[in-house]
Amino acid sequence: MTAHSFKEFLLLSVDLTAFEETDLLGTGLAHQYLAKVRDACGEGVVTALLGAHRAARADAAGDAESPDRTLLDRALRHRIFSDDRLGPVARNVIKLWYAGMWYGLPPEWTDCYEARTAAETSTVTAASYQEGLLWRAIAANPPGAKAPGYGSWAQPPRIEARYLKEATQ
Amino acid sequence: MTASTIHNRDDLIKYLHRAMVLEHATIPPYLTAYYSIHPTTNSDAAHIIRVVAVEEMLHLTLAANVLNAIGGTPDLSRRGFVPSYPTYLPDGECDFTVDLRPFSPEAVETFCKIERPGKAPRDSSRLVPASDSHRPTPVSSPTDESLRFYSIGEFYAEIIEGLEKVADREPDLFQGDPTRQVGPEYFYSGGGAVIPVTDLDSARQALQFIADQGEGLDAGIYGEDGELAHYYRFRQLQLGHYYQVGDHPDEPSGPPLNISWNDVYQVKVSARLADYPAGSELARAARDFNADYGVFLALLTKAFNGQPSLLQDAIWHMFRLRDGINRLVRNPLPGSDGLHAAPTFEIPTAVGHDPGASRTAGEVAQAVTG
Repeated sequence: MTAHSFKEFLLLSVDLTAFEETDLLGTGLAHQYLAKVRDACGEGVVTALLGAHRAARADAAGDAESPDRTLLDRALRHRIFSDDRLGPVARNVIKLWYAGMWYGLPPEWTDCYEARTAAETSTVTAASYQEGLLWRAIAANPPGAKAPGYGSWAQPPRIEARYLKEATQ
Repeated sequence: MTASTIHNRDDLIKYLHRAMVLEHATIPPYLTAYYSIHPTTNSDAAHIIRVVAVEEMLHLTLAANVLNAIGGTPDLSRRGFVPSYPTYLPDGECDFTVDLRPFSPEAVETFCKIERPGKAPRDSSRLVPASDSHRPTPVSSPTDESLRFYSIGEFYAEIIEGLEKVADREPDLFQGDPTRQVGPEYFYSGGGAVIPVTDLDSARQALQFIADQGEGLDAGIYGEDGELAHYYRFRQLQLGHYYQVGDHPDEPSGPPLNISWNDVYQVKVSARLADYPAGSELARAARDFNADYGVFLALLTKAFNGQPSLLQDAIWHMFRLRDGINRLVRNPLPGSDGLHAAPTFEIPTAVGHDPGASRTAGEVAQAVTG
């Protein structure tokens, strides 16, 4: 696993999850997640996915430092999510970050792309359930883990402003 | 014999403010080491550090109780309450500084020094002249900065003697409002029973408890209640075995500890905000943590100033701080050769704090809003 592909996987994950890199690294699981995708789908799929993401970023690159959000959204749908091979994998990467699980891909996909290990649903580590971004997104603790402290339930959930509906882009 | 440095209530108040600074100052180093440990590894070490850190929180609360009992006003939000690490932590000799370190032999070495038993050979050597080259530290005498204590235990012995002397002369020394005391209804599961302080006996009991729990002053490896003193808890990490009753301090004979020095996030030692890339997400996360910590200290200040029930809220604040530290230590710190980020404990001055403190707020306001 090269440092370069790890960095690319992080960038891809930032675009897929809408969480910042600091939050993704803050789970302590980024390396395991990339390894999981590799194990499940094979190197070829991962390389293609990262390549498609690079291309989508290029499509959306304006003159500014950060990509044009609208263009990036369109490019991601065009190059990744609507792609029969990469789309299901990208959706699974999102689930991986949010739920800490690799959800088995359907036989139509695994048969077609000869990656049978991708069919198995499995957790990554015991920590991945706790670190699922889903809990951060709804400002709740994973039930049974990461105790939030007595009386915390009397407080309103602390959801970051940029994730609220009225937040401006 | 060195003359007593405590003559009246004001002197005692200064000493007790310093005691709170001292007790708190040990907590960031313990937390940094504790949270640097990879989850699910090093459970022996994590447990030892955690127990000690929690007991320091009890000591902080006990010191606040004694300060309140004599009519003082605890203030954890004032500038300088949290030292700038590395700091001299004071046990008189100034032969070491305290860093914020990942769990490592060096960190354990420092922890042992912080907690080491230090009974001055004679009362006359309790206070030793401080070298001029050093800044005042929490355990120098607050009433005579040229003197430092031989050890933390001796620092508390001085306060206890001072309390006795002043109480004798000023019958109304314990004039504090008893409703400001933090009792067991507000502080529990926290390293022992909290002692409300209303008179000389309870004050003595509270301070002696702090000294005993830390170093086992005069009491050997175990305290009076059979609890292993902090120093010896940490020695177990150095010696590789748990103590059993009857053991010689150098030869614990209990089961071996399972320690894996490599299962640790190698966080940068005593990281500062200046070590973070300017304007980065990570720098923002570090500043956010410091701001949260400042809010937490302000909450404790309120709790220790007549609203002890606020300690209930302090609980979930601490859990949020835990999540903040975990997030930081898992992030590599760019430009630091693979070392990881860590909380810096550079606390921005609270907005709306007392006027005396806000005078100096200008230079740190950036940290809150940036």
